[in-house]
Amino acid sequence: MAAYILRRLLWTIILLLVITAVTFLIFYVLPSGDPAKLRAGRTPSPEQIAAIRHQLGLDRSLAYQYWDYVKKIVTHFDFGNSYTNNEPVKTLIFDRLPNTMFLVLGAAVIWFVVGVFIGIVSAVARGSFWDRSLMGAALLAISAPVYWLGLVSLYLFSDDIGVWHIFPGAGSYQDASGFIAKAHTLILPWLVLAAAFAAIYARLLRSNLLDTLGEDYIRTARAKGLSERRVVLRHGVRSAITPVITVLGLDIGILMGGAILTETVFNIDGVGRLSYDAIQRGDLSTIQGTTLVLAFAVAIMSLVVDIVYAFLDPRVRY
Amino acid sequence: MSRSHLRFLLASALAVVALVVAACGGSDNNSSSSSSSSSSSPTKTAGANNNSAAEAPATKGGKLTVLAGTDVDFLDPGHTYYTTGYMIAYSTQRTLYSFKPQDSVKPVPDIADGEPQVSSDKKTITVKIKPGIKFSPPVNREVTSKDIKYAFERFFSVNVGGQYPGYFNMIVGAPKEPTKGVKPISGIETPDNNTIVFHLSEPAAVPFAAALVMPITAPVPEEYASKFDAKSPSTYNTHVVATGPYMVQNDASGNTVGYKPGKSISLVRNPNWDPKTDYRPAWVDSVFMRTNASDGNVASNQVLDGNNMIFEGNPPANIIKEVATKRKDQFVQVPSGGYRYFPINTTIKPFDNINVRRAISAGFDRNAARLARGGKFTADLPTHYLPPDFPGFDEAGGMNGPGFDFLSTKNESGDMALAASYMKKAGYPSGKYTGNETFLMVSANVDPNKAQSEVAKAQFEKLGFKIRLRLVPQDAVYNDWCQVPSKKVAVCGGAGWFKDFADPQSMLEPVFAGYLIPKSGLNNNMAQLRDPKVDAAMKKAALLDGDARLKAWADIDKMITGDAATIPFVWDKTTLIRSKNVNGVANGYYTDWDLSWTSVKQ
Repeated sequence: MAAYILRRLLWTIILLLVITAVTFLIFYVLPSGDPAKLRAGRTPSPEQIAAIRHQLGLDRSLAYQYWDYVKKIVTHFDFGNSYTNNEPVKTLIFDRLPNTMFLVLGAAVIWFVVGVFIGIVSAVARGSFWDRSLMGAALLAISAPVYWLGLVSLYLFSDDIGVWHIFPGAGSYQDASGFIAKAHTLILPWLVLAAAFAAIYARLLRSNLLDTLGEDYIRTARAKGLSERRVVLRHGVRSAITPVITVLGLDIGILMGGAILTETVFNIDGVGRLSYDAIQRGDLSTIQGTTLVLAFAVAIMSLVVDIVYAFLDPRVRY
Repeated sequence: MSRSHLRFLLASALAVVALVVAACGGSDNNSSSSSSSSSSSPTKTAGANNNSAAEAPATKGGKLTVLAGTDVDFLDPGHTYYTTGYMIAYSTQRTLYSFKPQDSVKPVPDIADGEPQVSSDKKTITVKIKPGIKFSPPVNREVTSKDIKYAFERFFSVNVGGQYPGYFNMIVGAPKEPTKGVKPISGIETPDNNTIVFHLSEPAAVPFAAALVMPITAPVPEEYASKFDAKSPSTYNTHVVATGPYMVQNDASGNTVGYKPGKSISLVRNPNWDPKTDYRPAWVDSVFMRTNASDGNVASNQVLDGNNMIFEGNPPANIIKEVATKRKDQFVQVPSGGYRYFPINTTIKPFDNINVRRAISAGFDRNAARLARGGKFTADLPTHYLPPDFPGFDEAGGMNGPGFDFLSTKNESGDMALAASYMKKAGYPSGKYTGNETFLMVSANVDPNKAQSEVAKAQFEKLGFKIRLRLVPQDAVYNDWCQVPSKKVAVCGGAGWFKDFADPQSMLEPVFAGYLIPKSGLNNNMAQLRDPKVDAAMKKAALLDGDARLKAWADIDKMITGDAATIPFVWDKTTLIRSKNVNGVANGYYTDWDLSWTSVKQ
């Protein structure tokens, strides 16, 4: 197992190097704004642009710029400075990463628990009123865009612009201090972000569980006289849930790169919003930094999923 | 909850029902519409809401909260160049001259003690400085003319990155390119602590004096700032000290702990500010500005339904419509002080023919282009270039303009008969273009620019022109296409020019002077207009002052309008919204809320 983890970590490093190279090249090959011209103001002279380009190191060869970039990341974890406000990208990202993690992990707990519960109930009670109702609700949740759902929930339930003043409104997360207070302000964002995921997980688990419950070994378990609860939970769900775990890991990894719409609607200062703003402004160094964070999160979560597999499924060994 | 919220919910519920009925089961693309943020604000002449709150009774005290969708570009007065940055700069810094909210045409002395003294050869400007103005902690000493000299010198340093050197590079000894470190400028003298003298290499004192309202003229204490300016880039941005009524909250070392990039800015009273030396009332005790209020719809509703809040910049178009019809006491509008236009490349045939260009203008549905940016409430249709509430506007004909039929107030949606008549004059008997070439139009790939360029493409095609519309990222539109003559862009799918200070030369010369088209580098004259009469008139008008200057530039405005080298399609207005208990006052110069005049009703 240790050798496997080490091997995967090495591959992760190689993957990150490839991603840095690709993002680096993308901004030189594709039509995009020149950071030096963007910073030069309204009526820049060629000399002024050249001076800024020199200051930013953009007049060096592409290979040197890439080498310098990677070297700084490896030796100092330095992503450079934002082209738009000169702030260190590392500070910008790590200032916001805890907010995104809090948002995503809280929502993940909700969507996983709710999704698994609904999936099991629907599979076990296939064709019943509860199955049809829960799957109908799931379809509704999947169909509702996060942005729309966020706005509706704020207009209904937020304590500033809502009809019923129940939950803290947009921007309240930033004003709150302490774990409990911050968690309180995230209830609505968690529910909104979790809604569609919970619905997808419920449908996925239901489908897998229905297939699993028709397997021979389930029939054998029942023939041995095991209780239905034990058959379903111990033998059925344990097998059916592995694809759900895979998706969970990837979803968390991807959302670590930013739950842009949720962060935008609820005004949560996260990595997604930072990334979106950077794209809008052509802030290359920030885009590269957030892209690396996203890639790293996906790679690590993928590794975690593979490790969890070994515990869930005795057949899996590394 | 307002009625609009209910309507939104009802519409949303219906949309969901429709989705379920359709039983598609797929998720949406989650595109965040919202925040179109088209500029707007009424002009007095257009009959929109004026800025009368500036005259309303106000009370001292309270905390004001500003919700903004974006951060300031920079807090450093030597580096900032955008509206949000100006809003902070003009409440924390005092420039040589500045604008009271009620008058965006005539600046008043701020740190300066009286009007600038201009020599007869218009090459020397002398400004006296008021005594008794002090820097905020930790500097705590009185401002002298040397602090303003240093502010100019550091502006040209590459570490600071001043963004508008073109307005000041005629100072004798001013660097022609950004300097490594801060270098002295021989053409700025400080004979005593209360006098600063600018020597110019050309007789440009009049526009130079008009530019002395810009943030570059805010004093910077050299003994404090030099250690920050020595770094690349300068870190004075996060150690900035104030001379205005407010300061960014800082610690004993000067670190601006009240500035959290991309998150918030906390302004507190500057303990060293003496109201006797200033015209600003500075009503509120503190300002908290959230610079990441990312969803314009949500933030706007928080402002409208809440207390003690204002929204920075234009709210989304649906909110503008709501306040215009239902919450008339919760907004003000001010002219944005500029124009948006479609430049036509006059070096490409047949656009080198003035009658072809006039035909395009005559047949152009400018109202449709305006709709793409928010519609009638957000902008007026221009009849010339100098915008409302700007020096020379009235002299140039006001809202009615100089009277050209192809750009008249009666021709909002395009007059194809008139267009055909101009095409016939240009040598096209059918009244339409009959050539086979395809012309390149370049625009941004996001709305509203994308939408307005699609309108423009359709207008050209009405007259028989084949247009290939190339959509590129916003950042590349000007730097890589429209401002690069070698790219041979026939039509730019939208450009805008807005005031930096109140002088008509700065509004017309950079955009239309043939003599300013550079041999290399970026070109602001995107139409590449080279009209010898216009160029000669500009050179002559640059030397004038007073009413003669306004008249001369108004005449130039008329000449340029007649050249039809571009299609001006909106004079933007900026709409600003506030909570009911806020007495919001907008500043017409930087077209945003004036934090030094806005107050909270107690």
